[in-house]
Amino acid sequence: MEFKGLVACRAGVGSSLMLKIKLNQVISENKLPIKIEHGSLDALSGFNGQLIITLSDVAKELEAKKMPQTIIGIDNIMDKAEILTKLNAFLAANN
Amino acid sequence: MDLTSEKLVRLNIEAENWEDAIRKSAAPLFENGKITAAYIDAIINTAKEVGPYIVLTKHVALPHARSEAGALESAIGIATLKTPVVFGNKENDPVKYLFCLSAKDSESHINALSELTGLLDREDFYALLDQAKEASEVIQYIKNL
Repeated sequence: MEFKGLVACRAGVGSSLMLKIKLNQVISENKLPIKIEHGSLDALSGFNGQLIITLSDVAKELEAKKMPQTIIGIDNIMDKAEILTKLNAFLAANN
Repeated sequence: MDLTSEKLVRLNIEAENWEDAIRKSAAPLFENGKITAAYIDAIINTAKEVGPYIVLTKHVALPHARSEAGALESAIGIATLKTPVVFGNKENDPVKYLFCLSAKDSESHINALSELTGLLDREDFYALLDQAKEASEVIQYIKNL
Protein backbone atom coordinates (compact mmCIF):
# COMPACT_ATOMS: atom_id res chain seq x y z
CA MET A 1 0.00 0.00 0.00
CA GLU A 2 1.07 3.55 -0.55
CA PHE A 3 1.05 6.02 2.34
CA LYS A 4 0.25 9.70 2.11
CA GLY A 5 2.50 12.10 3.97
CA LEU A 6 2.00 15.82 4.56
CA VAL A 7 5.06 18.02 4.96
CA ALA A 8 4.03 21.01 7.00
CA CYS A 9 5.76 24.04 8.44
CA ARG A 10 4.54 27.22 10.00
CA ALA A 11 4.46 29.34 6.89
CA GLY A 12 4.21 26.62 4.24
CA VAL A 13 6.55 28.47 1.87
CA GLY A 14 10.07 27.80 3.13
CA SER A 15 11.11 25.01 5.43
CA SER A 16 8.38 22.63 4.28
CA LEU A 17 9.32 23.09 0.63
CA MET A 18 12.98 22.35 1.28
CA LEU A 19 12.05 19.41 3.45
CA LYS A 20 9.75 18.15 0.68
CA ILE A 21 12.62 18.29 -1.82
CA LYS A 22 14.88 16.23 0.45
CA LEU A 23 12.09 13.79 1.35
CA ASN A 24 11.32 13.16 -2.30
CA GLN A 25 15.02 12.51 -2.98
CA VAL A 26 15.14 9.94 -0.18
CA ILE A 27 11.80 8.38 -1.19
CA SER A 28 12.75 7.98 -4.86
CA GLU A 29 16.30 6.77 -4.14
CA ASN A 30 14.94 4.08 -1.82
CA LYS A 31 11.65 3.47 -3.65
CA LEU A 32 9.60 3.98 -0.49
CA PRO A 33 5.79 3.71 -0.83
CA ILE A 34 5.09 7.24 0.39
CA LYS A 35 3.57 10.12 -1.55
CA ILE A 36 4.38 13.61 -0.27
CA GLU A 37 2.34 16.79 -0.35
CA HIS A 38 3.08 20.00 1.51
CA GLY A 39 1.40 22.94 3.12
CA SER A 40 1.25 25.19 6.15
CA LEU A 41 -0.01 24.00 9.51
CA ASP A 42 -3.47 25.18 8.42
CA ALA A 43 -3.57 22.29 5.94
CA LEU A 44 -3.45 19.74 8.77
CA SER A 45 -7.15 19.79 9.57
CA GLY A 46 -8.13 18.75 6.03
CA PHE A 47 -5.44 16.11 5.67
CA ASN A 48 -6.60 12.49 5.50
CA GLY A 49 -3.23 10.71 5.14
CA GLN A 50 -1.32 8.67 7.68
CA LEU A 51 1.87 10.65 8.17
CA ILE A 52 2.92 14.19 9.03
CA ILE A 53 6.53 15.22 8.56
CA THR A 54 7.88 18.48 9.91
CA LEU A 55 10.81 20.05 11.73
CA SER A 56 11.48 18.73 15.21
CA ASP A 57 10.27 21.74 17.17
CA VAL A 58 6.95 21.77 15.29
CA ALA A 59 6.66 18.01 15.75
CA LYS A 60 6.87 18.39 19.53
CA GLU A 61 4.02 20.86 19.45
CA LEU A 62 1.87 18.59 17.24
CA GLU A 63 2.49 15.56 19.42
CA ALA A 64 0.87 17.40 22.29
CA LYS A 65 -2.30 17.76 20.18
CA LYS A 66 -2.84 13.99 19.93
CA MET A 67 -3.37 13.96 16.17
CA PRO A 68 -4.50 10.68 14.57
CA GLN A 69 -1.45 10.64 12.25
CA THR A 70 2.07 9.50 12.95
CA ILE A 71 4.30 12.56 13.36
CA ILE A 72 7.92 12.57 12.27
CA GLY A 73 10.19 15.43 13.34
CA ILE A 74 13.38 16.04 11.36
CA ASP A 75 16.33 17.73 13.10
CA ASN A 76 18.53 18.34 10.08
CA ILE A 77 16.73 18.55 6.75
CA MET A 78 19.92 17.95 4.74
CA ASP A 79 20.64 14.68 6.55
CA LYS A 80 19.30 11.96 4.27
CA ALA A 81 20.31 9.21 6.69
CA GLU A 82 18.16 10.73 9.43
CA ILE A 83 15.20 11.08 7.04
CA LEU A 84 15.55 7.51 5.79
CA THR A 85 15.81 6.03 9.28
CA LYS A 86 12.67 7.82 10.43
CA LEU A 87 10.63 6.95 7.32
CA ASN A 88 11.68 3.31 7.57
CA ALA A 89 10.63 3.20 11.20
CA PHE A 90 7.19 4.50 10.18
CA LEU A 91 6.88 1.91 7.40
CA ALA A 92 7.97 -0.91 9.70
CA ALA A 93 5.36 0.06 12.27
CA ASN A 94 2.57 0.24 9.68
CA ASN A 95 3.15 -2.85 7.60
CA MET B 1 18.95 31.31 -8.10
CA ASP B 2 17.56 34.21 -10.09
CA LEU B 3 15.95 35.49 -6.90
CA THR B 4 19.22 36.60 -5.40
CA SER B 5 21.70 39.27 -6.54
CA GLU B 6 24.80 41.09 -5.33
CA LYS B 7 22.62 43.66 -3.61
CA LEU B 8 21.12 40.96 -1.38
CA VAL B 9 24.46 39.53 -0.20
CA ARG B 10 26.07 40.62 3.10
CA LEU B 11 29.31 38.90 4.08
CA ASN B 12 31.03 38.67 7.43
CA ILE B 13 28.54 40.81 9.33
CA GLU B 14 28.61 41.14 13.09
CA ALA B 15 25.51 40.19 15.06
CA GLU B 16 24.98 40.42 18.81
CA ASN B 17 22.42 37.62 19.02
CA TRP B 18 19.95 35.63 16.92
CA GLU B 19 17.46 38.48 16.67
CA ASP B 20 20.13 40.89 15.48
CA ALA B 21 21.34 38.27 13.00
CA ILE B 22 17.84 37.93 11.53
CA ARG B 23 17.40 41.70 11.28
CA LYS B 24 20.75 42.13 9.54
CA SER B 25 20.16 39.23 7.15
CA ALA B 26 16.77 40.71 6.25
CA ALA B 27 17.97 44.31 5.92
CA PRO B 28 19.05 44.11 2.25
CA LEU B 29 15.66 42.64 1.29
CA PHE B 30 13.93 45.51 3.07
CA GLU B 31 16.21 48.11 1.49
CA ASN B 32 15.55 46.70 -1.96
CA GLY B 33 11.77 46.66 -1.64
CA LYS B 34 11.38 42.88 -1.35
CA ILE B 35 9.79 42.86 2.11
CA THR B 36 8.15 45.28 4.54
CA ALA B 37 9.48 46.08 8.00
CA ALA B 38 6.50 44.18 9.42
CA TYR B 39 7.74 41.03 7.68
CA ILE B 40 10.98 41.15 9.69
CA ASP B 41 9.03 41.62 12.92
CA ALA B 42 6.83 38.64 11.99
CA ILE B 43 9.89 36.39 11.63
CA ILE B 44 11.22 37.46 15.00
CA ASN B 45 7.90 37.28 16.81
CA THR B 46 7.22 33.79 15.51
CA ALA B 47 10.68 32.64 16.56
CA LYS B 48 10.08 34.09 20.03
CA GLU B 49 6.72 32.37 20.36
CA VAL B 50 7.52 28.97 19.01
CA GLY B 51 11.29 28.57 18.92
CA PRO B 52 13.94 28.52 16.23
CA TYR B 53 11.80 27.04 13.44
CA ILE B 54 13.99 28.59 10.77
CA VAL B 55 17.19 26.66 11.59
CA LEU B 56 17.18 23.86 9.04
CA THR B 57 20.56 22.21 9.00
CA LYS B 58 24.01 22.58 10.57
CA HIS B 59 24.85 26.28 10.91
CA VAL B 60 22.11 27.35 8.48
CA ALA B 61 18.95 29.40 9.04
CA LEU B 62 16.26 30.34 6.54
CA PRO B 63 14.53 33.34 8.11
CA HIS B 64 11.06 33.67 6.57
CA ALA B 65 7.42 34.27 7.43
CA ARG B 66 4.08 33.83 5.73
CA SER B 67 3.62 35.75 2.49
CA GLU B 68 0.81 37.83 4.04
CA ALA B 69 3.20 39.13 6.70
CA GLY B 70 4.75 41.46 4.13
CA ALA B 71 6.48 39.68 1.25
CA LEU B 72 6.44 42.18 -1.63
CA GLU B 73 8.58 40.32 -4.19
CA SER B 74 10.06 36.84 -4.04
CA ALA B 75 13.75 37.02 -3.15
CA ILE B 76 16.53 35.23 -1.29
CA GLY B 77 19.24 37.05 0.64
CA ILE B 78 22.62 35.59 1.56
CA ALA B 79 24.31 36.61 4.81
CA THR B 80 27.29 35.22 6.69
CA LEU B 81 28.22 36.07 10.26
CA LYS B 82 31.71 36.93 11.40
CA THR B 83 30.99 35.14 14.67
CA PRO B 84 28.27 32.45 14.65
CA VAL B 85 25.38 32.95 17.08
CA VAL B 86 23.23 30.51 19.05
CA PHE B 87 19.57 30.27 17.98
CA GLY B 88 18.50 27.68 20.55
CA ASN B 89 18.39 24.78 18.08
CA LYS B 90 20.42 22.10 19.80
CA GLU B 91 21.03 20.00 16.72
CA ASN B 92 22.22 22.72 14.36
CA ASP B 93 23.63 25.61 16.44
CA PRO B 94 25.50 27.86 16.13
CA VAL B 95 24.21 29.58 13.00
CA LYS B 96 26.68 31.17 10.63
CA TYR B 97 24.82 31.29 7.30
CA LEU B 98 21.43 32.98 6.89
CA PHE B 99 19.30 32.88 3.76
CA CYS B 100 16.42 35.28 4.30
CA LEU B 101 13.50 34.22 2.12
CA SER B 102 10.65 36.32 0.81
CA ALA B 103 7.95 34.27 -0.90
CA LYS B 104 5.30 36.42 -2.54
CA ASP B 105 3.14 33.40 -3.37
CA SER B 106 3.48 29.65 -3.08
CA GLU B 107 4.95 29.09 -6.55
CA SER B 108 7.44 31.70 -7.75
CA HIS B 109 10.30 30.73 -5.46
CA ILE B 110 10.13 26.94 -5.76
CA ASN B 111 12.93 26.65 -8.34
CA ALA B 112 15.16 28.98 -6.35
CA LEU B 113 14.56 27.03 -3.13
CA SER B 114 15.33 23.83 -4.95
CA GLU B 115 18.62 25.33 -6.14
CA LEU B 116 19.38 26.56 -2.64
CA THR B 117 18.76 23.06 -1.30
CA GLY B 118 21.34 21.81 -3.78
CA LEU B 119 23.82 24.48 -2.70
CA LEU B 120 23.43 23.50 0.95
CA ASP B 121 24.67 20.01 0.03
CA ARG B 122 27.94 21.37 -1.34
CA GLU B 123 30.91 21.75 0.97
CA ASP B 124 32.63 24.02 -1.53
CA PHE B 125 29.70 26.44 -1.28
CA TYR B 126 30.28 26.90 2.47
CA ALA B 127 34.03 27.20 1.83
CA LEU B 128 33.33 29.90 -0.71
CA LEU B 129 31.04 31.78 1.68
CA ASP B 130 33.78 31.63 4.32
CA GLN B 131 36.45 32.98 2.00
CA ALA B 132 34.58 35.43 -0.21
CA LYS B 133 35.38 39.09 0.26
CA GLU B 134 32.92 40.48 -2.28
CA ALA B 135 29.28 39.73 -3.02
CA SER B 136 30.19 39.31 -6.68
CA GLU B 137 32.26 36.20 -5.86
CA VAL B 138 29.20 34.50 -4.35
CA ILE B 139 26.90 35.41 -7.22
CA GLN B 140 29.51 34.33 -9.77
CA TYR B 141 29.87 30.95 -8.05
CA ILE B 142 26.12 30.38 -8.17
CA LYS B 143 25.89 31.42 -11.82
CA ASN B 144 28.73 29.08 -12.80
CA LEU B 145 27.12 25.96 -11.38
